[in-house]
Amino acid sequence: MSGIAAPGGFLWLVKHELRLAWRNRPRKGAARWLGYGFAIVYVGFGCFLAWMLRDEPIPVTPTMMTGVLAGCIAATSFMVAQAMIGSQRTLYESGDLALLFTAPIEPRVVMQAKLLGIAATIALTYGLLLLPVVLPVAVLGHPRLFGAALLLAALALTAASIGIIVTLALATFIGARAARTVGQILAALCGGAVFLISQLLNHPGTGRSGIASLFERLRADGFGSSGVSALPGRAAFGDPLAIVILLGLGVLLFAGTGALLQRMFLSGYQDGAGRVSRRRPSGRAMARLFHAGLFRAVFAKEWRLLARDPALAFQIVLRLIYLAPIVLVAVRNGGKLPILPGMAFASVLIASQLVGSFAWLAVSAEDAPDLIAVAPVRKSEIGFAKLLAAFAMAAPFAIVLPIVIATRAPLGALATLVCTAIGGGLAGLVELKLGKPASRKTFARRRSGSVIAGIIVIVISLVFGFFAAAGVFFLD
Amino acid sequence: MTEPALRIRGLSKSFGKPVIVNLDLEVAAGQLYALLGPNGAGKTTTLKMATGLVKPDAGTVHIFGIDAQRRPIEAKAITAWLPDEPMLYDKLTPSEYLAFVAGLWRMDPRVAAAEAERLLHWLELWDERDTRCEGFSRGMMQKVALAGALIHDPQLLILDEPLTGLDAGMARAVKDALRAQVDRGKTVIVTTHILEVAERMADRIGIIAGGKLLAGGTLEELRARAGTEGLTLEDTFIRLTSGQ
Repeated sequence: MSGIAAPGGFLWLVKHELRLAWRNRPRKGAARWLGYGFAIVYVGFGCFLAWMLRDEPIPVTPTMMTGVLAGCIAATSFMVAQAMIGSQRTLYESGDLALLFTAPIEPRVVMQAKLLGIAATIALTYGLLLLPVVLPVAVLGHPRLFGAALLLAALALTAASIGIIVTLALATFIGARAARTVGQILAALCGGAVFLISQLLNHPGTGRSGIASLFERLRADGFGSSGVSALPGRAAFGDPLAIVILLGLGVLLFAGTGALLQRMFLSGYQDGAGRVSRRRPSGRAMARLFHAGLFRAVFAKEWRLLARDPALAFQIVLRLIYLAPIVLVAVRNGGKLPILPGMAFASVLIASQLVGSFAWLAVSAEDAPDLIAVAPVRKSEIGFAKLLAAFAMAAPFAIVLPIVIATRAPLGALATLVCTAIGGGLAGLVELKLGKPASRKTFARRRSGSVIAGIIVIVISLVFGFFAAAGVFFLD
Repeated sequence: MTEPALRIRGLSKSFGKPVIVNLDLEVAAGQLYALLGPNGAGKTTTLKMATGLVKPDAGTVHIFGIDAQRRPIEAKAITAWLPDEPMLYDKLTPSEYLAFVAGLWRMDPRVAAAEAERLLHWLELWDERDTRCEGFSRGMMQKVALAGALIHDPQLLILDEPLTGLDAGMARAVKDALRAQVDRGKTVIVTTHILEVAERMADRIGIIAGGKLLAGGTLEELRARAGTEGLTLEDTFIRLTSGQ
């Protein structure tokens, strides 16, 4: 065997990357079987749809074209976020770069294999959503829809290239340490961009969502159905020229990134691998750090770990932003819901989300579980101390809405406070009882580890949120 | 009669296949005991059961006469465990880590602060006390973890491969620290692959293989048993474990 498919060649490395990505999928537990079940149902749905549409013409309307464009924009924002996270993992976390860079392989080949691995992972993620429906329809009488698969490949190549360009640019201009933090924040913002923009565009009282308004405006202005903006729609519906243009641009960007940024990739890795801790000025009194009591020790540790991980703290804040639609629905004064009960409802949601997040960090994402296990402390004691620490960290945020309510309805505020405390406490307790050990790095995907815990916390939030709202409504 | 620092009777553990089989082991107080064995012999599993990290299928563990399964908190209060991978928090500084460990062992804050200061000086970590551990070398991390193990002044210190990956200077510092503990009347149990270390430092040596204690005693007793008088511990070890 020789050439790019031989051991050490480009395709051989790509195969290695794909094998690693495949083996990182959930391999046991409920998530795996849920995934298989969902896949069977979804493929069945796709086949059923294809059968129903087999003799039906699919007209390409301006609305559909705008829909494809909007879908591409949304998908690209998610894909770029995924690519940025993948690039960061490749550059700073995957231990195999040391092996690959010491092997007699061109750094350009290593980088392009890694890049294609990221692109393939992205394409696979979205392909699993798109292809089970599109491919059967394309096979049964609508072959032009094969264009959608090629459009997906073009988007994945483009997103992977953008992801690594941003990651390397950050590493070059602000250094490896800051690049990781800023990159994680940017990825979180990028992944939530569509959602955040839709919230900004919401107009209370109009009865229309921001997304619907934006879509209507785009469609009316002809976006997606004419000119360059029509390329995604045309490619998705099988126009060969549009496919060649978009796929060609993706491949060009991909190849150009690999060729032009190989030095930045190598130096980005070297900077990341060689990072050392900043030496802080010493001189603080040692006694200041030592306190009596288990809770104070646990709280100090948890608080420091969170405060020193800005990307993680930002993700928690982002989760609160994601609650915005529920909160907006609840407190919107132009609707039928009165504002104070809505605030009470929101207070419980925020508290349970925050305590759940902090409890996950303290309980499930413990970095040194063996240290805790060998300490002369009962499991229940340490669990309670961690729960209390999570509660204390969430309290400054959770107290805001009850205080606002207290200015107009003191008794209702009291009811809200009680429900907020119970909701938050129970959310933390669920994490304590059902949480599974995990790494802090997996915070964004933490619920995949315990689907049941996630569902229970949502139910608790809704039930006590309702109690709090009812309390405010009836007491004042 | 003084209680042994560690007394294990009939200890068994299986992870699908038997790892430890009816193991008896006794370590007297005030000694440095080296537990040796080939890879997969069950050394780490034995020590993890002694520290309460792994639950035995059968058998008992007593630490200074305290039943570690029935009264784990009391047993843990006088024991320290240092695994081969240091149990640290990347984003904490050595001072903060020691403060957290002191909190877990519920030490008096003034005593803990003074002891932390002494340990940081002694292990030459004082200048790095306010630097986060995330960029430390393996040796530095091992020293921080050792300080954490020593801060609550344990009667029994159990270490799993404490010298792995350390350079000569660091290894010497750790060995001196362990010897100093024994000189202060404490008990140290250590697993190691470096037989010279066991040969030079250990008061008694145990050789474990296939989940069983093959032999235990002073170096001379082991040599006599293996018929390797005048030879090195390496020869003795190979002779004793060759049938396993």
